[in-house]
Amino acid sequence: MSVKYTPVQWNRFKWGYDAVLIASTALFLWIFVDLAPGILSHERPIDRNIHNARAFGVCAFLMLTVILCIGPLARLDRRFLPLLYNRRHFGVLTAAVATTHAYFILNFYFNFSPVDKFEAALLSNASYGQLSGFPFEALGIFALLCLLILSATSHDFWMKFLTPPVWKALHYLIYPTYAAVVGHVMLGTLQDQDHQGFTVIVLVGAVLVAALHLGAAVRERVRLPAPAPWLPVAHALSIADGRARIAVLPTGDRVAVFRMGDHLSAIANACAHQNGPLGEGRIIDCLVTCPWHGFQYDVTNGRSPAPFTERVPTYGLRLEDGMVYVNPQANPPGTYVAPLFAPHDPITPVAEGKSAKRDQNDPAADDPAEGGPAHV
Amino acid sequence: MSGAAFVIEAARWWLWAGAAVAAAFLAIGIDRVDEDARGAYAFRPLLVPAILLVWPLVLWRWGRLELGGGDWAARYRPPRAVHLPVALILAAALAFALVAGLAVRQTWPANVSPMQIAPPGTVEP
Repeated sequence: MSVKYTPVQWNRFKWGYDAVLIASTALFLWIFVDLAPGILSHERPIDRNIHNARAFGVCAFLMLTVILCIGPLARLDRRFLPLLYNRRHFGVLTAAVATTHAYFILNFYFNFSPVDKFEAALLSNASYGQLSGFPFEALGIFALLCLLILSATSHDFWMKFLTPPVWKALHYLIYPTYAAVVGHVMLGTLQDQDHQGFTVIVLVGAVLVAALHLGAAVRERVRLPAPAPWLPVAHALSIADGRARIAVLPTGDRVAVFRMGDHLSAIANACAHQNGPLGEGRIIDCLVTCPWHGFQYDVTNGRSPAPFTERVPTYGLRLEDGMVYVNPQANPPGTYVAPLFAPHDPITPVAEGKSAKRDQNDPAADDPAEGGPAHV
Repeated sequence: MSGAAFVIEAARWWLWAGAAVAAAFLAIGIDRVDEDARGAYAFRPLLVPAILLVWPLVLWRWGRLELGGGDWAARYRPPRAVHLPVALILAAALAFALVAGLAVRQTWPANVSPMQIAPPGTVEP
């Protein structure tokens, strides 16, 4: 959690994540740059700049493919949540690798032109009206610019300053970016049929990204209920202790209804940090804990414990014939709502206690098998 | 001036304007619009690249916050409703890129010996 902004909120998990990330990237580049020339046994040795450009280009494509797979994988299977945890650093490193690719390209293919090399990159091919020989460089430039914008706006400050809707809309740029990268590769280097292996890698990567996103989006698709003053969420006994049920309101907003012992409380499902799904987390030490980054809230008023300042909206609840109803009108963030008394079934599994020792910043410690939430 | 030179010049001016906005926002604006940034200076250099790139967005949000505008509920409303349309468009765009790239892929006879090209007006070797 944050009280004041810091460059990076380091913890042990982030150090480990970044160490694996950097080591894997360095290993890939070392194999490609130093070992591959011998394996590939080119008939005519290629220039070192070209080889480096290819190494960083392939690396950036693979990194971007993995990044785009992480989001839907985490939605489809909670075991992938740890990969999501520090994805921003993954994105920043990808932008750096892609920039290095562009550096080698500019300093070899366009460096010996009578005009400025940046100008030469834009001038060299202007056949925008045809598919064969299309200036794939423009697709690469567009993708690089988008990657730079995405990585530059990845600090927590930007989410708060721009607001999540604007920030997320900006970060939807990742999708045209990936499509542009695939176009850049397909209309560029893969026009040479010597690269059959890389052709297969690109095809598999792109199909995997498309399939995972479609699968996750279809699974999340829910029918919105008709507008009503109070909406049924679930039977009170079906909410496990320390867990939540998520309700989707007619507006599309989501509400997480948590049980803490014999009481129920409802807060917005979107974490104030990065809109992580609070309802998929659980109550640890009497606080709702976001499964993405461990941000915590008092379930009765939606406030983070002092000295932290994050807040989320709360909702009113009522009980009728054992069914829990939620008032779809959100209370302003941080508003206290008295918990609803609803004795829980003594045979319902109890989640608290065993969770107290876990690393709250480590989403890998979350156990998805324990009474997970369900959409209603 | 060629179109390419114009684009490069425009990019240069864009970055200079971004530098001016970055100086003003990081020295004055950020403390006025975000209480968590007051007294926090180490992270501010990290914001410079983003301001250089998206400075109109920064000016717009800065203005909105100075005027007290904004919908608090929007902060808790992630745009998840567009996931499916976005996934469909992404899949279509990727399919187009893959098919188009493979369709125009060039083929040429194998084992053709290289031929030296002579400058215009000279006799072929």
